[in-house]
Amino acid sequence: MSSRRSSRGAISDEEINELISKLQSLLPNSRRRGSSQASTTKLLKETCNYIKSLHREVDDLSDRLSDLMSTMDHNSPGAEIVRSILRS
Amino acid sequence: MRGPSNNTMMAFKRGFLRSLLLSLQSSKATMSLEERKRAVKSSADVAMATARGVAGARWPQAILSSSSSSSPSRMQAKVKRCKNIVRRCCHKRRRDGNNGTSFFARTALNRSSTEVARRLVKKRTKVLRRMIPGGDLLDEISLLHEAMDYVVHLHAEVDVLRLVSKALQRSTTSGLFHAF
Repeated sequence: MSSRRSSRGAISDEEINELISKLQSLLPNSRRRGSSQASTTKLLKETCNYIKSLHREVDDLSDRLSDLMSTMDHNSPGAEIVRSILRS
Repeated sequence: MRGPSNNTMMAFKRGFLRSLLLSLQSSKATMSLEERKRAVKSSADVAMATARGVAGARWPQAILSSSSSSSPSRMQAKVKRCKNIVRRCCHKRRRDGNNGTSFFARTALNRSSTEVARRLVKKRTKVLRRMIPGGDLLDEISLLHEAMDYVVHLHAEVDVLRLVSKALQRSTTSGLFHAF
């Protein structure tokens, strides 16, 4: 990491573009319209929105999971699932 | 630069799930709804950070540092953010050899040379830093790498949580064992 920072001038345009397109490909709905490059601002905005929506989903799902677990009694099939995951 | 392999991601998912289930099991039932939600969120974050490990990215350590403190994490995060902003101001002056133009702004300039684009990029970068744990400390190129790593792991986290919630709701054992 540190070598990347100190040699900032040595990073080529190709490397930068590669980074940007890699990030672009991780985002949902990454359309490849020929050679047109997504603007940097659009990419940053999409990344932020995606992270935000993932955070929300994690919150919802983990709340739901916590509820499910709190209502399980020791002998329920759900409890056995949890135990087997913890054993693996 | 390669993303994490499938095996790495499977191990991450497994480790994350185990840590999360363990902390959910041991959480007290006598908490208020608000406390409960906060505890669950923090459990998920810590589970994700420990499952990923601290090598090769900053966000896991940032999550673990901010959650291991005894004082309320929000206050802690605020204090940290202030310190980092001060630190970043000092650093920026020392390291920046491009007349104050950030890397992102330069890239934006290559594509559209307006002042508006530059300001937008600056704003977006600030928002992105806030979304990624430990993002305040990073230069923009590291921030990109960090964002990719974080997104990949968040996505995996969601996959696992969806799977497990579904399995527990149905309370059958059929689908779950195949995945693990």
